Amino acid sequence: MNDLVLIRKNLFRRKLRAILMMVSILIAFAIFAVLASFERAFNAGQDRATPDRLVVLNKINFTQPLPISYYNRVAAVDGVAQINHFSWFGGYYQEPRNFVAAFAVDPENWMKLRDSDFVFSPEIRAAFIRERTGVLVGARMMEKWGWKIGDHIPISSNIWSQKNGSHAWDFTIIGSFTARIPQADTNVMVMSYDYFNETRSFGKDLISWLALRTTSVAANERVTNAIDGMFANSPYETRTDSEKAFSKAFAAQLGNIALIVELVVGAAFVTILMIVGNTMVMTVRERTREIGVLKTLGFSGGRILRMVLGESILLALLGGLPGLGVALLLIARVRDSLMSFVPTLSLYPDIVAAAVGLMVVFGIITGLVPALNAMRLNIVTALGRN
Amino acid sequence: MRSIFLQILAVTTINLKSLPQRLWLSLATVIAVGLVVTVLLAFLAMANGFQRTIADSGAEDIAVALRSGSLSEINSVVLRDQVRLIEDGPGIARGADGKPQTSGELYLTVDGTKRSTGTKASLPLRGLGPQGPALRRGVVITAGRMFNPGTNEIIVGKALGKEFEGFDLGQTVTFNSTRWTVVGIFAADGSVFESEIWADLPVLQSLFKRVGAVQTVRARLINPAAIEALRAYSDSDPRLKLDVMSEAAYFAQQASNTSDLIQKLGWPLAIAMAFGSLAGALNTMYSSVAARATEIATLRAIGFSGFSTFVGTLVESLILAAVGGVIGAAATYLVFDGFTASTIGGSFSQVVFNFQLSPRLIGQGLLLALVVGLFGGLFPALRAARMPIVAGLYGS
Repeated sequence: MNDLVLIRKNLFRRKLRAILMMVSILIAFAIFAVLASFERAFNAGQDRATPDRLVVLNKINFTQPLPISYYNRVAAVDGVAQINHFSWFGGYYQEPRNFVAAFAVDPENWMKLRDSDFVFSPEIRAAFIRERTGVLVGARMMEKWGWKIGDHIPISSNIWSQKNGSHAWDFTIIGSFTARIPQADTNVMVMSYDYFNETRSFGKDLISWLALRTTSVAANERVTNAIDGMFANSPYETRTDSEKAFSKAFAAQLGNIALIVELVVGAAFVTILMIVGNTMVMTVRERTREIGVLKTLGFSGGRILRMVLGESILLALLGGLPGLGVALLLIARVRDSLMSFVPTLSLYPDIVAAAVGLMVVFGIITGLVPALNAMRLNIVTALGRN
Repeated sequence: MRSIFLQILAVTTINLKSLPQRLWLSLATVIAVGLVVTVLLAFLAMANGFQRTIADSGAEDIAVALRSGSLSEINSVVLRDQVRLIEDGPGIARGADGKPQTSGELYLTVDGTKRSTGTKASLPLRGLGPQGPALRRGVVITAGRMFNPGTNEIIVGKALGKEFEGFDLGQTVTFNSTRWTVVGIFAADGSVFESEIWADLPVLQSLFKRVGAVQTVRARLINPAAIEALRAYSDSDPRLKLDVMSEAAYFAQQASNTSDLIQKLGWPLAIAMAFGSLAGALNTMYSSVAARATEIATLRAIGFSGFSTFVGTLVESLILAAVGGVIGAAATYLVFDGFTASTIGGSFSQVVFNFQLSPRLIGQGLLLALVVGLFGGLFPALRAARMPIVAGLYGS
C-alpha cells in the first residue's frame, strides 16, 4: 500500500463530505473557466490584431464618416503597405432585430488585406471583383440563416436607403469563405462599395473608416503622424490608431468587463477557499489519533505533510477538472446564441492551464494549515487526544 | 402543542449557544452565503439602475418618429419634408402661439474621456431647437445659462459632466475643428438626457454637413392615446413611413436589451455560486449534527421528540443563512448602491446610471439565502431526527 492509496482512502472516508467539497470546487472552477473564456472572446479583437495594422477614423467619433478621397491620399503616404476602406451598412435580414454585420469594401483590396484571416478560392476572388451586386458571406453567417451560394437575399439597412426610397438591397450570394485562423470571425458579409455608393440616396462618397497595414511596426508612428497631420484643420479630421488600441477602446465602452469578471471569480474562490479550508482543518483534526499511530509506525513528519497536502490537492483536482468539463459543455451550448455578441467564444488551452495551476495552488492553500499541524503533531498528545 | 413549541425553543437555543464551538465552519457558511447574495444583488442593482435611468426617461405623451427599421436614434434619418408632414399630423399639441409642439433633432456621437479610467467613450451630442427642452420633463439649467441660437455653445447634462473629462462650465471642447464653449450644465430629473450634450440644431446641421435632415422628430401629443392616430397617419402616407412610438415605448425598448443581459448574467452566476455555498452549508450542518450527536441522543432519551431536534437543526441552518444574507445585502448596499457607472446604451453611446437597490431586490437576495439555508439544513436535520438514541449515547 503506497501513500497514494492512503491519500485516496483518506479523502473518501467520508464520501458525502468529499463529494460536497468537490461540488463546490467544481462550481468555482466552472465559473472561472466560463468567465475567463467570455472575457477572452470579448477582447478577441485586440488579440487578433497584429501590430502593423492601423485604422483611420474620423476624429470626432468612429460613427462619423470620412470622404472616399482619403483612400488614395492615405495610400500614397510613405510606409503604407496595404490599405482598404470600409463602410458600415447597418444591415438586417427581414426583421430589424436580425442584425447582419455587413460592410461595403473595395473587393480586390479587401481580399488582399484579409487573406491572412480568411480562405478565398480563386473562383470566388474573380467573381467578387466581377459581380457588382454580388456579396461574399462568411461560413458562420451562411450557416446562421441557412443561405446557399446563388441565393438572392434582401438585406435591409437601418441607416441607408436606395434612391428609389427602399431600405432593402437585393444581393446575390456569389461565394463564401472560411476562417484561416480560429480567432477570425466569419459571421460577416461584404459587398462592393462602388455598387453601394451608386445606389444609396445620401452620404455619397463617404466611407466609415480606413484600415491599413504599414511596411513595418517601426513605421507606425511616422505613418500615424503623417496621416493625422495631413488632414488637420480640415472638415474631416482623422485619428489614426492601432487596430488593437481601437478594439480595446471599443470593448472598454461596455464597462470594465475585466473588473467585473475578477470580482465575481474572486468572490467564488473566497467562498470555496473558506469552506474547503475549514473542512480540511476539521477533517485532519478528526484524524489526530491516526496520525499519532502513523508516526508511531515510523512515518516521518514530512511524509505526513505530503500526504495531507496530497489529499487537498487531489480534492482540488477531482473537483476542478470536472468543473472545466462543465465549462466546456456550457460554452458549447451558448456559443451559437451568443455568436453575434462574442463570436470567438471557446475554452482556450491557456485558460485550462491557468485553471489547473490554480487548482494546485488552491489545494496547497487549503491543505497547508492542517498539513503543518499534522506534521508538528507530537505522538504523545496525538494518542492522548480524544 | 405548547410542549412541542417549548422543546423546539430549547433545542434551538442549545444549538445556537453551541455555535461558538463550530465558529470557523459556521462563519465560513455565513460569509459564503453573504458573498452569493452580494454577487446577485450587485448584478440586479446594476440592471435595475440602468433600466430605471433609461425607461423612466420616456414620457407617454411624447411621440418619437424614426426612420422605419432604424431601431435607434443614431441610425435614423428624417428629411425636412417629413418633419413638416409630422408637424401637420393629427393629435399633436399646439402651443399658445398656435405652433405645433415638435422638435426635429440630430443625434451624433463624439469622443470623450472617462474620468475614472481615462479611456475614450462615445458621448451623445444632440442638436435641438428652442422647443426641444420643453418636450422633456424637468429640464433645468443648474449652472450657467442656455446656449444662444446660432452660436457654438453647448450645455452639458450633469451626469455626463461628472463622469467625463473636459465638460466643466466655461471649458471649450473641439469637435470637427470647431471650438465649442460649455455655457451651461443642466439637470433633467435623473433621466438619460443628463448623459447628453446639447447644442443648437442649425449650427450642428451645418457643421456636420446634415443641412435639411434631422434624425428624429419628437412631438407632444394632446393625450397619450393620440399616438395611434399619428401612427396611422404616418403609415398611410408613402412619403412618411416612419416608425412612430411613444417616447416611453422607445426608451423601454432601448433599455431592455442591456438590462436583460445583465440579469441573464447575474442570476445564473448567483445560482451557481449558491450551489457552491449550499455544499458548504450542508457540510457545516452535518458537522454540527455529528458534533452534537451525544447531546441530541441525551435530549431524545429524556423525552424530547425527533421533530424538535429536526426543527432545531433546520433553524440553526436558516439563521446562519439569514445572517449571511443580511450581511450580503448590507455589503451590497454600502458598496454598490448609488455607485455610478456608465455603459453603452442603445445608440452606440454612453449612458450614465447609478446602481439602484430596491426592497424587492433585497427580498430576492434574502430569499436566495434562505433557500440555501433550507436545503443546507434539511438533510442534516433529518439525520438528527432519525439518529438512533443508543448509538448517539455511546458516541460515534
